[in-house]
Amino acid sequence: MKNKNFYVIENALLNLGKNKGRNFLQGVMIFAVITTTVIALSIHNTSVAIIGEYKTRFGSEVNIVPETLADNLPDITAEQALLYSQSEYLRDAQVDEVKIGSGAIKLVYYLKSPESLDAFRTEVQDKGLPAGYIVDIDKAGYDRMVMPMEGLKDISLTFLLIVLALGCAIMILLSIISVRERKYEIGVLRAMGMKKQKLAMGLWVEILIITSVCFILSLIAGGLLSQSISDALLAGLMNTATEPVDISVSPQTVLQIFGVAMLFASVAGIISVSKITKYEPIKILMERN
Amino acid sequence: MKCLELADVSYRYEGSTEYVLKNISAAFDSGKVYTVVGESGAGKSTLLSLISGLDVCKEGDVYYDGKNLRELDRDDYRAKCVGVIFQGYNLLINSTAVYNITLSMNISESEIMGRRAKKEAAFALLNKVGIDRETADRKILYLSGGEQQRVGIARALSHNPDVIIADEPTGNLDAETESEVLKILTRLAHEDGKCVIIVTHSENVTAIADEIIGIHAGNLIAGEKYRENSAFHGENGHERTKTIRENEQ
Ligand SMILES: Nc1ncnc2c1ncn2[C@@H]1O[C@H](COP(=O)(O)OP(=O)(O)OP(=O)(O)O)[C@@H](O)[C@H]1O
Ligand SMILES: [Mg+2]
Repeated sequence: MKNKNFYVIENALLNLGKNKGRNFLQGVMIFAVITTTVIALSIHNTSVAIIGEYKTRFGSEVNIVPETLADNLPDITAEQALLYSQSEYLRDAQVDEVKIGSGAIKLVYYLKSPESLDAFRTEVQDKGLPAGYIVDIDKAGYDRMVMPMEGLKDISLTFLLIVLALGCAIMILLSIISVRERKYEIGVLRAMGMKKQKLAMGLWVEILIITSVCFILSLIAGGLLSQSISDALLAGLMNTATEPVDISVSPQTVLQIFGVAMLFASVAGIISVSKITKYEPIKILMERN
Repeated sequence: MKCLELADVSYRYEGSTEYVLKNISAAFDSGKVYTVVGESGAGKSTLLSLISGLDVCKEGDVYYDGKNLRELDRDDYRAKCVGVIFQGYNLLINSTAVYNITLSMNISESEIMGRRAKKEAAFALLNKVGIDRETADRKILYLSGGEQQRVGIARALSHNPDVIIADEPTGNLDAETESEVLKILTRLAHEDGKCVIIVTHSENVTAIADEIIGIHAGNLIAGEKYRENSAFHGENGHERTKTIRENEQ
């Protein structure tokens, strides 16, 4: 048996072709909303990823430096430095020596994970690290890199939430206008005996198709735009020149945006259904006659 | 056989205190043509919207085939049991005539299966009311009032309903098409056993009626009163009513 509801979808498809002007306008609005969402989301996701990366990178870089640049500190011998590097907390037995002025040096080790900092510190002190030395991550470097990213993340999140709220508001408005504009058509269909849920399904299919098209176009546009926007944002946030951050639309972002698009379509669907439920066919038809 | 029954039906519009229909009781049989006559604003269209399940009466009940409309799914009732020809056509103006018909078939879950078969059946139906294929393929928007009315008639017949309700179905038709449409409606009643209810101001339509129902200011007028009040029917109607009365006696 053929699906008895197929005509509802067929009717929706035909309607898309019939009302090109209105659908185009609706499409433009949805496109704008989704594109901004794409931008906000991809900037947000990228900054989260970069923060994570920086956290591991700078967080796992342990420095052993003199607390003050006093002359009377005992030196750390090369043997000692090597001894410290024999630790299960380290990625490898590597130690870098960096001159930090006035003859003092900084020892740099690389932790397997930032969490083992305290354990490593205790171990090094047990192995005989002279007093007056501190074992810690490169706070300054960390802050320099991560803080602007945190800023970017917060801005993009706020932006994203605003866009989502605005997007929902726009979708609600569009559906209200659309249903009102199509009141007569709805009245005729209802008078012919079409059930409310089928009518709503038809309208939902229409909005779903428009949204899907917009979703694809938005991915392209958003992917192109988000890089330059993020560059501009970073330039404003970072005082010192930093290497540009590569913003990308990851599969995860695509999925999230798809979710957002579906959210918009559902909002529109729910509004349409609630509006249609309120209309009685006789009232709609009488208003016209 | 009794098809429709109105039992003490009263109706007033939302927000209005005045009753448009007052305690109407009537029965409609299958296989007969009824015409509903009365002055403008008498409540004829309102009566039809109650019979066609577009609206629900405030007091009293409407029965279809012995079942109370309040207990039926009114969407299904409209889609399958009644065909309505509206005073204002109420077609999908942005769709073609033939699409209006096939959509109606789809909504009523017509027994005709398959797209092509439905479309052919729709063309045939439109042809019966005098719409050729070329016209049938045009959007309602580009059809004349009379053509739209005929599409409306075809749509009402598209799902083969037991009851056919028409509000001024010949108002926009020339004499020739009018008699053609009336022939169709009469045949539907007398040959296919449908219950046909027509609201009209036209003498030509009352002339084909098996029974005439008069409405005056929301009240059903029958018998003597209806016959005597020539304000809401012409000479022809008068004669006709007389004949019915005489037959009944
Ligand atoms: N939505 C409405 N709200 C309030 N009153 C209404 C409404 N629709 C119709 N009426 C009133 O109800 C009465 C009956 O209207 P109806 O349309 O049934 O008349 P009618 O007999 O069909 O007239 P016509 O021959 O002109 O078509 C009229 O007085 C009309 O003004
Ligand atoms: Mg009327």
